[in-house]
Amino acid sequence: MSVIVDLRDVAKEFPLGKTTVHALRGVSLSIQKGEFVAIAGPSGSGKTTMLNQIGCVDVPTRGEVFIDGQSTSALSERALTRLRLRKLGFIFQSFNLVGVLDVAQNVELPLLLQGNLTRKERDMRVAEMIEKVDLTPQSTQRPNELSGGQRQRVAIARALVTRPSIVMADEPTANLDTDTGNRILEVMRTLNKKEGTTFIFSTHDHRVMEHARRLVTLVDGLIATDAPHGSEAIA
Amino acid sequence: MNPIAGFGLLLRMALRSLWSHKVKSLIVGSLMAFGTTLVVTGTALLDSIQSAMSRSIIHSLAGHLQVYSSEAEDELSIYGGGMMSGNEVGQIPNFSKVKSVIAAVPNVKAVVPMGIQLANMSRGSDLDRAFSQLREAHRRGDATVAPRLVPRIKRLLSLLESELINREAVSSPEVKKTVTAQLVDVRRVMNAAFWTEYDTDPLTALDFLDTRIAPLGGEGRLMYLRYVGTDLDSFSSNFDRFQLVEGEMVPKGARGLLINQRFAESRLKLTAARLLDDLEEGRQQGVPISGTPNLESKARRLATLAGSITILLEPKDAKTIEAQLAALITPLGPATDAGKTQRFEDLKTGTQFTVKRKTSPDLEAYDANLDRLLTAFLTMDDTTLQWRAQFFYEVLGKKIDLYPFETGDVVTIRAFTKRGYIKAVNVKVWGKFVFKGLERSELSGAANLLDLMTFRDLYGQMTEAQREELSQIQAEAGAQDVARENAEDLFFGGDEETETSETETTGFSEFAGVNLKRQRRATVDERRFQQDELEGGMAINAAILLEDDSMLAETQAAVQKAVDAAGLKLRVIDHERASGLIGQLAMLIRGILYVAIFIIFAVALVIINNSMVMATLERVREIGTLRAIGAQKRFVMAMFMLETLTLGLVTGGIGAALGAGIITIINRVGIPATNDIMVFAFSGPRLRPDFTADHIFVAVGIIMVVTLLATYYPARIATRIQPIEAMRGAD
Repeated sequence: MSVIVDLRDVAKEFPLGKTTVHALRGVSLSIQKGEFVAIAGPSGSGKTTMLNQIGCVDVPTRGEVFIDGQSTSALSERALTRLRLRKLGFIFQSFNLVGVLDVAQNVELPLLLQGNLTRKERDMRVAEMIEKVDLTPQSTQRPNELSGGQRQRVAIARALVTRPSIVMADEPTANLDTDTGNRILEVMRTLNKKEGTTFIFSTHDHRVMEHARRLVTLVDGLIATDAPHGSEAIA
Repeated sequence: MNPIAGFGLLLRMALRSLWSHKVKSLIVGSLMAFGTTLVVTGTALLDSIQSAMSRSIIHSLAGHLQVYSSEAEDELSIYGGGMMSGNEVGQIPNFSKVKSVIAAVPNVKAVVPMGIQLANMSRGSDLDRAFSQLREAHRRGDATVAPRLVPRIKRLLSLLESELINREAVSSPEVKKTVTAQLVDVRRVMNAAFWTEYDTDPLTALDFLDTRIAPLGGEGRLMYLRYVGTDLDSFSSNFDRFQLVEGEMVPKGARGLLINQRFAESRLKLTAARLLDDLEEGRQQGVPISGTPNLESKARRLATLAGSITILLEPKDAKTIEAQLAALITPLGPATDAGKTQRFEDLKTGTQFTVKRKTSPDLEAYDANLDRLLTAFLTMDDTTLQWRAQFFYEVLGKKIDLYPFETGDVVTIRAFTKRGYIKAVNVKVWGKFVFKGLERSELSGAANLLDLMTFRDLYGQMTEAQREELSQIQAEAGAQDVARENAEDLFFGGDEETETSETETTGFSEFAGVNLKRQRRATVDERRFQQDELEGGMAINAAILLEDDSMLAETQAAVQKAVDAAGLKLRVIDHERASGLIGQLAMLIRGILYVAIFIIFAVALVIINNSMVMATLERVREIGTLRAIGAQKRFVMAMFMLETLTLGLVTGGIGAALGAGIITIINRVGIPATNDIMVFAFSGPRLRPDFTADHIFVAVGIIMVVTLLATYYPARIATRIQPIEAMRGAD
């Protein structure tokens, strides 16, 4: 197993009025390829901030982030964007689908941005991905015609269609009811097992943490605990 | 990113986004469509006007290009800058040299010499005309003329007499003496005894009339005449708007004047006839006098002009007309208020009407009854206008001269020469012409045509023959008795020095008097001139006509280069510039249109900009998401640009089609020219505008540029949205 994400003493500070908020106070964390990691902690503990550093949508104030062995601190904005496009997939708390595009088009979007597949290949990949999240009948519907769970499944399909190394999910179930949330996590877990994709998601919901194979808890911008979790931990 | 697939995605997103913001798209779209419509219709209309105006200008007077002295103080203005010919536009000393240089430039079809001047013209007084007819009849030995003329002369003198009586009453003692003496002369001629003497010794009597009575007759009718001195032959064959409508062309090598029919109709024609024409034209177009202020005022003015007609009638004609009128119009009851108001009945239509006069007629006066009836006749309304207009032309008009001169007459033109003295030349009116399509335009109608030789005389330029004659005279001066004919030529002909000194010593009135005498004898310079004499002399400016007018700018540059290379100090300008203010009218309207378009698009720009900024702010998370999942900044930029560009293209297309439709409809219907400037600008009575692909492209191009400008700033804001925005906030 190789290290896919490596945080080394990452700190992030935000100015807030005249004071400074220390969202992360020097965090080091290594995540192996294929892990299914939950980052937990109360509100304001730095979960989202840490995901943003891993997802390369934010730059740390201090420390370094390595994705697949590559340091991100030296990369330009364009290069970071390219990195996100090729290696990362995102699942958002409020789904963030493009409202004017239908399900298939939303899923196809990252492939179009990558622009290295033919139309036929894209169509196949999109159909396959939609199939995996059980949305084939809805593939021509617009996001606003779908339920929250369906929308999040579209988001998952969109995140995974490029076959990224890592999928980031920021509180993926926060806007869903418990049942739907569980089903979403099952979809993610299944894909994790089948495709070997690394999943890193943040949550403050204990029931969601149950699904994790590794649980990292944050308190006040520092890692409080980091331990294997659930059935795998027991085994 | 795959460009084609990426573009497809962007386009899809743009269209969907536009559709989902229907109201905003509709507002912005309508604005853009309106702007495009305006650009297409406006520019097409203006281009049509400009090209029509160019046709008017080019083919009537200016030619494609004009050349004139580069040392000129003022700019050349073919249609006149003001009333007086004070423009200092220099001169071309030797036209043939200029012609040979310019004619060699490719694309030049013809070079026509010109000189524009404003002069005045008189045909002598009515007395002058009567006396000259008398003299002419005597010379021919025609005894029938005098009996016919004498009553007329007496009538004219009775008018002069009453004028002199008035003058005598108000004069200072010294002047009074002169006036009294003049009265004695006038009364002598009015006496039958004078005419008995005339029968026995006509020459003495004629001399008395010429020297003592004629100067009292005044100037006659004076009018301004604007003329273009030119090579008439070359002019008529090169300016294709020129068309002779009466008389004949001035023969090659002869001197002469061609009168613009428009000028004749609007300036020369008897005022009463002109007013009647306007009323009659209104009637034919269905515009009634009553209720039309312009026509009402013309009708009122017409009713005051009986005197101007009675004076022109021969005595025997006056009696006939009086009788004819009496059978058609009859007074009802006596005149009231000391004869100022009287009811009449129009026997042809049965209409009763009231006639008002400023003064009551002097019942003792020669034409009192005719004047009263004629005033009643000229008091017209909508019911009586038709037959009276007909009567005016078919009966009355046959007995009077409607124009102060006719084709074939000789007129005296007087102009200020360059040195400031007045020069007079007699010239024959050979015919009348029009500029086709511009018959009703006063602007092009103001220009009459004169041969260049006469122009030079009036301009103060000696011909070679005159110069020779002068040197000969100088050589012979004092040694020989100068013949009478020669003396007069010397006096009034070409010699500038002599004339200057004469003017200084004799003063204006005397000069005018002698001039009139010369005019009476109608001495016309009948010497023919050769083409090289015409071309070898001076001109003020020259018109250049081109083979291919699309090459105007290039040819202009080429001509300028050629004249510069030849060392000729000339300035070459295009017809628009040469036509002065009028030519720049289109430019002015264009300026106004551009300002209007600019304002509309500035407003559109602000609105589009504003709504796009709003849209950007609404879509922060969407854009953040796109950026997070790997869209580069340029993708976001392109997304925004394409959205408004699509809107611009669609609505701009609709607007352009609408504009093209409007122009097509206007083309079918035509815009009528309602005034003189419009006739000129439309190059005819109606403008039928046309559009070209250029108008569409320009309009759509402008809308595209506006759209891109309007979107650039919001799009830049959008590209600055960070991917982290995707993570923020649940809703």
